[in-house]
Amino acid sequence: MAESIELEVKGLDFYYAGNIHALKKINLSVSKNSVTALIGPSGCGKTTLLRCFNRMHDLYPKNRYEGEILFHGRDILSKETDLINLRSRIGMVFQKPTPFPMSIFDNIAYGLKLNGVNRRSDLAERVEKALVHAALWDEVKDKLGASAYDLSGGQQQRLVIARALAVNPEVLLFDEPTSALDPISTAKIEELATSLKKEITIVIVTHNMQQAARISDRTGFLMLGELIEFDRTDKIFTAPSEKLTEDYVTGRFG
Amino acid sequence: MTVFDEELQHLKDKLLKMGSLVEDAIKNSVISLVERDNDLAQRVIDNDRLVNTLDVEIDEESIRLIALRQPKAGDLRFITTAMKITTDLERMGDLGVNIAERAIELNQEPILKPYIDIPKMREIAQGMTRDALDAFVRKDRKLAMDVIMRDDEVDDLKHSVLQELAFFMVQDPTTVTRAMKISFVATYLERVADHATNIAEMVIYLTEGKIIRHMVLPPENI
Repeated sequence: MAESIELEVKGLDFYYAGNIHALKKINLSVSKNSVTALIGPSGCGKTTLLRCFNRMHDLYPKNRYEGEILFHGRDILSKETDLINLRSRIGMVFQKPTPFPMSIFDNIAYGLKLNGVNRRSDLAERVEKALVHAALWDEVKDKLGASAYDLSGGQQQRLVIARALAVNPEVLLFDEPTSALDPISTAKIEELATSLKKEITIVIVTHNMQQAARISDRTGFLMLGELIEFDRTDKIFTAPSEKLTEDYVTGRFG
Repeated sequence: MTVFDEELQHLKDKLLKMGSLVEDAIKNSVISLVERDNDLAQRVIDNDRLVNTLDVEIDEESIRLIALRQPKAGDLRFITTAMKITTDLERMGDLGVNIAERAIELNQEPILKPYIDIPKMREIAQGMTRDALDAFVRKDRKLAMDVIMRDDEVDDLKHSVLQELAFFMVQDPTTVTRAMKISFVATYLERVADHATNIAEMVIYLTEGKIIRHMVLPPENI
């Protein structure tokens, strides 16, 4: 089966304010309906790269991108890109769950309302669909009016994923989504990521190499802002081509 | 050296110990036949216990490392290779025992003919075993390929032994029992070489992550 490309990074350089060169000439293609993992030691640039995909770095005006990231043929780094629209099509889930201080229902309805869904019946339907999608529905269907803060960390993380899914994104970016979760919640999020790729494309940054191995189809290994190796995940974890990758995945770094 | 590196080294040491026991078994079993030494043959049979113990220990150790260390890349290939090699070595040890058993039986009867090709087969098969293990230890792809190529010599020798023995059996039916036992020995040695070849193939996997079993190798790979 030929894979179609969802995101194509071409010659990407990224500089943080103060001219810190955080990403160097990155080239990488993210296939549609796949999970792509980015791994590497702290400070390697994996989160920086993830944040380029929905222009999170624009929060600080002195950050600078060079190169291109093509999303369905259009460069998302272009000045014309509508960031609100971009971020609803390419959503992000963070390390710590970030529910809003409101009810479970409203957490999800919030983004839908921003996107012009206002009829109660439509909202109810879309909220349920999103919660089912995020594998949280059965646990919360009887307490949709309860505060999101009453949920456990793992449930909150799935709520946040449901919130992102509600606006029908094409890509979800996961920034260490399970590093604050226990193993059972982690397993649920991993299952979720694997089942979601039927409909969307996922890029995940993780410190947990086993997690990358378990859920991703392709893995990119970064070090000091460079993409050292990018290949099928099974290849990276059984027979990587680069010595640096080998040293990193076998824990013989440095 | 990390604790994990030490554990891997420990596993490697056990494999090498097992390898040298197996090499001895093959060498001594054939000597016990050629020199009609029943005591030596019995020693080969008795020593197989040590090989079997190491086989189990290596498997247990490998499984433990997979469970506790989640090995990846080169470490993963090393441990899976160890588990496969140990199976081949264990079978080779058994073949040594089989040769020793035939030796004890044959030593009770008059010599059918002087053994010429069997010691040659033994020398090549034993050399293949030693080199396959050397290649494993040194991650030496070239030496492993060399072992694989030598397998044909052993096959050819086996065929000439079997042909010669068939001739004896046709000429004189009283030689049939002895000739059959000697042909078994030739077959055992041929299998020893096959197992050494398996080990060499696993070394190719260890060095480059490519499984070459059941492949016909193009000449440029040699």
